[in-house]
Amino acid sequence: MALSKEHLLKVYEDMLLIRRFEEEVEVYAKNGTIPGFIHLSIGQEAAQAGVVDVLKDTDYKFPDHRGHGAIVLSSKPEERKRCMSEIFAKATGINGGRGGSMHVHDLSVRNMGFNGIQGSTVVTALGTAFNSVYRKNDDVTVVFMGDGTLGEGTCHESLNMSATWKLPLVYVLINNQYAISTHYTEAHPQKQLSTWGLGYEVPSMTIDGNDIEEVIEVTQQAVDRARRGEGPTLIEMMSYRWQGHFSGDPAAYRPDGELEAWKEKDPLKLAKEKLQEKHGVSDAEIQAISDRVEVEIAEYVKFSLESPVPKPEDAVKYVYTDREVEGR
Amino acid sequence: MARIISFSKALNEAMTQEMERDENVFILGEDVAKMGGDFGITTGIWERWPNRAFDTALSESAITGLCCGASVCGLRPVAELMFADFITVCYDQLVNNAAKLNYMYQGEASAQMVVRAVTGGGIRCAYHHSQCIEPWLMNIPGLVIVAPATPYEAKGLLVASIRNNNPVVFLEHKHLYNVKGEVPEELYEIPLYEAHVEREGTDITIVAAMSMLKFAQKAADEMAAKGISVEIINPRTIFPLDKETIKESVAKTGRLIVVQEGPKVMGYGAEIGAMLGEELFEYLKAPIKRVTSLDTPVPFAPGMEDYVLPHYEDVITACNEVMAY
Repeated sequence: MALSKEHLLKVYEDMLLIRRFEEEVEVYAKNGTIPGFIHLSIGQEAAQAGVVDVLKDTDYKFPDHRGHGAIVLSSKPEERKRCMSEIFAKATGINGGRGGSMHVHDLSVRNMGFNGIQGSTVVTALGTAFNSVYRKNDDVTVVFMGDGTLGEGTCHESLNMSATWKLPLVYVLINNQYAISTHYTEAHPQKQLSTWGLGYEVPSMTIDGNDIEEVIEVTQQAVDRARRGEGPTLIEMMSYRWQGHFSGDPAAYRPDGELEAWKEKDPLKLAKEKLQEKHGVSDAEIQAISDRVEVEIAEYVKFSLESPVPKPEDAVKYVYTDREVEGR
Repeated sequence: MARIISFSKALNEAMTQEMERDENVFILGEDVAKMGGDFGITTGIWERWPNRAFDTALSESAITGLCCGASVCGLRPVAELMFADFITVCYDQLVNNAAKLNYMYQGEASAQMVVRAVTGGGIRCAYHHSQCIEPWLMNIPGLVIVAPATPYEAKGLLVASIRNNNPVVFLEHKHLYNVKGEVPEELYEIPLYEAHVEREGTDITIVAAMSMLKFAQKAADEMAAKGISVEIINPRTIFPLDKETIKESVAKTGRLIVVQEGPKVMGYGAEIGAMLGEELFEYLKAPIKRVTSLDTPVPFAPGMEDYVLPHYEDVITACNEVMAY
C-alpha cells in the first residue's frame, strides 16, 4: 500500500526524530552524562514509527527494551523531552528518574513501559488485551518484542492464551538479527521466526521492517483484525540494529560487511527516496524537515541537561500505595 | 450476624460478596471456573458470573501476567495458584513486575491483584505440593504476604486484600480449609499490616502464623497449667511485618519463640529474631527460639514428613528452655 505524500512525509519526520533522538542519547551515554546501559534502536525506525502511526492514544503499547523510538512517538509532542530527561535520570523525567532507559512509560497515552526482563511484557500484555474484552471496548494492545525474546517460555504461554481467547493483541517481533551476540538462526530452528505463530493458528507473517509503507499496511490489517475481535496476529519485521547491543558494545561478533549492507537498506534512506522519486519532494522540503527536527531535538537535549536531578530521599516513595517505607 | 462456617466457605463468601459489590473483581486460574477450584474454594462463582470466572491453561506466568496488565487498567483480578509451590513458574511476574508497578508508575496505577496460593505441608504430597513459600517473597519490597489462621480472618483478610491496591500473595494453608469458626455473614475487612494479639500473657511471647497458631494455643494452655503466662501474636500479614506489636509484646515478656512451618533458614522467624536482636537486645531475658521444619525438602512418606515438620513437643521444650535460662 502506497502512503499519500502527506502521510509519508509525516512518518519520515517521525523516523528522523527518533533517529536523531538516539544519536543524541548515544553522545551523552558515551561521554558519561547518562548513567547505566543504553540500548539504541538506530536502524529500526520504520518498525517503531510505522506501528505507532497506526495506533490510537487509547491503544495499549508495550515497547521493547530497544524501544526509545516507539516510546517517544507514543508520547504527546510536549511530553517527548521528558522521555529524554528520564533517560538522563532527571527529576523532570517522565518517571521522575525512577525507571531510566529501560522503563520509560507514559500512562496518559497508554505507553505501559518496558520491563528489564525479556518475555515479561508478552504476558503482561495479556492483561490489557483482556481488559478490552472484559469491558467490551475496542482498544488494541501491541507488544513489541525482539528475536531474542522468543527464547523465553512466556512467549508460548502468551500466544497460546491470546489465540485461545481471541484477545485483541498484536505481537510486533522486530527481528534485528542478534540477541546480544547470538544470531537468531543459532538460537532458533526456524528460518523465519514468524512461522512460530502458526502452531497456535495465529496469522503470522514476515515483512520488510525497514519499509515504512509495508509496516503500516500490515500493522493496520493486524490492528483492524484485533479491533474486530478476531484475535491476535504475529508480525515479524526484519531489521537490523546498527549499534552493538548496548552503547559501547563494539559488536565484534558481526561478519564484515553485514552492517554496511544493512545501511544500504536504511529505513530513512528508503523513505526519502520514495518521497523524492515518487512524490517529487524537493531537497529543500527534506531540508526543512531536518531543520525542524534539529530544533526539536536541541530543545530536548537542553531540557535534559538543565533539569535537576531527583531528590535521593524520594527513592522511598511509591513502594506501596498505602504505607511508608523507612528512609535513612 | 455470625455463623459457624469453614475456612473454605469463608474464602468463597469473601470472593462472592466482593464480586457482588464490585464488577471489576474477577477470578481466574486453573480449574477455578467450571470445577470451582481444585480445593472447591471458588465453587458457584462461575455459575453466577460465567463472564467473570476463567479457567486457564496451565500457564502461571500468563495468569499472573494477565493480572498485572488487567489491574493497571483498573480491574481487580483474584488468581488462584493451585499450589503455592507453582509460584516459581510465575515468580518473574510477581517479583519483577507486580511488585514494581506502583513504583514505576509513581502511584498512577498499581498491581491491585490478589494471588491466592495454597500452601503448607501435611497432606502427604511431597516437596512440590507442600512448601511454605513466604520466605521466597519476603525480601521483595512492594509485595504483601497475607496469612490467615482462622475462618474469621480468611474472610476479612481476603476482602481487605481484594480492596488493597498493592499486589497481595494470599496464603491459604491446606490444613485450615476444613477448620470451622464464627464468621459474620456481612462484608467486613480485617486491616492488613496489623498483627493480632490472640492471647495476652506476661512470661513468653509466641509468634505463630496460619496452622502453627494451634500449636501456640495448645502450648499456652499447657504452660498456663504450670503457672507460665504465654502471649500469642498472630502476624496475619507476614510481610510487611507489624514489628511494633511484636516489639511491644517482647518488651513485656522478654522471651520469644517463633513457630513457623517452613525450614528454619531465613524464614520469618529469622527476620523477627534479627529485628529483636537489633532493637530490643536489652529486654531479652533468654535466647530467641525458633520451632520450625528441618532444613530439608518436604518428603513423601508419612513418617518422614512428620519427622521433618515442626513438632508440638518442640514448642513445649522451647517454652521450658526460655523459662529455665
